[in-house]
Amino acid sequence: MSRFWRRNRHWLTPVLFLLPGLILFGSVILAASVETIWISLHAWDGIGQKTWVGLANYLELADDPQFYVSLKNNVIWLLIFMLAPPVGLALALIVNQQIRGMRILKSLFFIPLVLATVTVGVVFGWVYDPNFGLLQLFFGVFGSTAPALLSDENFVTFAVAAAGLWPQIAFCMVLFLAGLNNLNDDLIAAGRVDGARGWRMLRHVVLPQLSQVGFIAIAVTVIGALRSFDMVAVMTNGGPYGSSTVLAYQMYEESIFSYRFGYGAAIATVLFVIMIAFIAWYLHGLVKAERSNA
Amino acid sequence: MPTDFAALPTTRRRFLKGTGAALAASTTGGLCLPAVAQPQEIAIISNLSNVEQRQILQRLASEYEAKSGAKIVINNMDHEAHKTAIRSYLVVGAPDICFWFSGNRMKAFVTKGLFDDISDLFAKENYKSVLGATTSAVTVDGKQYGLPMGGLLWGLFYRKDVFAEHNWTPPKTWTDFLALGEAAKSANMIPISVGTKELWPAGGWFDHMNLRINGLDKHIALMDGKVQYTDPMLTPVFDKWNDLIKAGFFSPNHSSFGWEQAGAALAQKKAAMMDLGGFVRSAFPEADLPQLAYAPFPEIVPGVARYEDFSVNSIHVPANAKNKQGARDFLAYFYRPENLGAFLAAEGAIPPRNDCPPSKDPLVNAAVEELKKVVGTSQYYDRDTDPDMAQEGMTGLQEFMVKPDRRDQILERLEKTRKRIFG
Repeated sequence: MSRFWRRNRHWLTPVLFLLPGLILFGSVILAASVETIWISLHAWDGIGQKTWVGLANYLELADDPQFYVSLKNNVIWLLIFMLAPPVGLALALIVNQQIRGMRILKSLFFIPLVLATVTVGVVFGWVYDPNFGLLQLFFGVFGSTAPALLSDENFVTFAVAAAGLWPQIAFCMVLFLAGLNNLNDDLIAAGRVDGARGWRMLRHVVLPQLSQVGFIAIAVTVIGALRSFDMVAVMTNGGPYGSSTVLAYQMYEESIFSYRFGYGAAIATVLFVIMIAFIAWYLHGLVKAERSNA
Repeated sequence: MPTDFAALPTTRRRFLKGTGAALAASTTGGLCLPAVAQPQEIAIISNLSNVEQRQILQRLASEYEAKSGAKIVINNMDHEAHKTAIRSYLVVGAPDICFWFSGNRMKAFVTKGLFDDISDLFAKENYKSVLGATTSAVTVDGKQYGLPMGGLLWGLFYRKDVFAEHNWTPPKTWTDFLALGEAAKSANMIPISVGTKELWPAGGWFDHMNLRINGLDKHIALMDGKVQYTDPMLTPVFDKWNDLIKAGFFSPNHSSFGWEQAGAALAQKKAAMMDLGGFVRSAFPEADLPQLAYAPFPEIVPGVARYEDFSVNSIHVPANAKNKQGARDFLAYFYRPENLGAFLAAEGAIPPRNDCPPSKDPLVNAAVEELKKVVGTSQYYDRDTDPDMAQEGMTGLQEFMVKPDRRDQILERLEKTRKRIFG
């Protein structure tokens, strides 16, 4: 045993270290993805026989108005979520000041990160409630009635995405706070010597050092917007009449409620292709950043 | 990371060797682990959301354990999550007993060979004589695949004190119904409380109008996909429904909330009536329960016999169960009139056996009486039609309730779906 070990450890050691992760990643992520693509080429109810249908699911998808509603809503989610990095940065700059009481303020901004997204969804569902919600109370002060945001096909996605934005902003803020703590003091001191302060200091000395963090914040936000599902499920069930579905939710609904696993898998595959484009861009950026650091 | 592995202390090396050995053992040896359950163990998966019912089931299980020496394991699942989980556990890792729904939803599993034929239990315990017509809810091709549990009779619910205060009577005809709605509006109340967030209440309202206008046979033909959604027989249904929507009969913004909130509006006297099953009682505070009363959905077309939605839950032995005999023995105990009666009383459901002790709940007794006048029953929109059709259909019906002007588009979409599913 020990001779075998001594002779082979140069490759056995890394293999053993990598194995648990590889097995998990391979079975949970890779194999599942490949199987999803395979299922998307079949008609399958989840129990019985799979019937090969080729690209029929994708052709039907191209002709499905609901699919375009979901796609459009995913774009709305993406656009709204793009507010998270700049707002998060602004908040991080504010709460990073050395002012009395700022710690309490900082922890208040942390709160949405501590809450489960489902909780956030339920709470915002109450805020938007047209009968007793906070929004209605607010509108009531001015003697008007709040719009029933979750019942209006034009507003519902914006309302749900706004609820999702809240924890996302907190998340970006935490990322930027960490980045602000790692600023190079020498550079800032040098900038100060050169007379930079205020906006010029931020623009030319601080922000360039945050570019890496900013990149991560944007990438994570994009992926967060694309995989949005829980908020929709909790707040609207995709309603009213399917007007707030996103791709992930439509996939779930087709597979679980309509028992069309093949069709659901086709939606998942489309979402996967969109995501992989962003992930490729993300990895590309990461690798580039690592090279420039090395 | 330039690390020299040779320089690492021996503990790390031992750890690695150990990990390797463990991994090897788990991949090879793990397969040999015997997957044998105790022969006298009875596993039950329940989808009960009612706490009291869960306690009664647990009590009956312990009593049976003491009597027979068998061991009963009950796994409680969330009601909605169970609807998904059952599809996988019936195939892999089936319990010995599971809860489900009779009718088409049961049939879907029967045709796939996933529920056990328990006609022998029916014969041995002579269930047909006490179940009567309800036997048909669990029968496929003359064989029984489950035991019917509590039934829900759907109809209009109202508060007696509110009706007495305004001198209203439950509407018998469509004219009465329209008049009552107008009266409710002038009393600043919502005529019909409804919450369609979970979609199915829209399907139920459609059922009740269609049963009153087209009768049971045509309704079932539609549910079976034999009638087109663009068929002229549905025109009066949507015309009349459209009148109600345009007249503001339903709760505003009903797609934002579910039946619980709609039920609360009824309890708080903000609405005059609500279309639901007996479980509406759970939206009422204990003190207000005596005020709750049932009225059948009004007649629309005179001469159409009285058909109602009557949904029956059920309990089954999966075909892949390990202890089918034990399951049958426990079911026979559980299904004794006194045990079943206690179990069903907790949810206010109508017992399927005619020899259960009379309920203390006046609502249940009223429903039992009403049921005697009913000529034929369907179950409910999403229990009678294909699940895929039900999902599309209920979404479309909800859209109709919000945007009645899109009626033609919606019906064409539903027809497209019907054609895809039923051909």
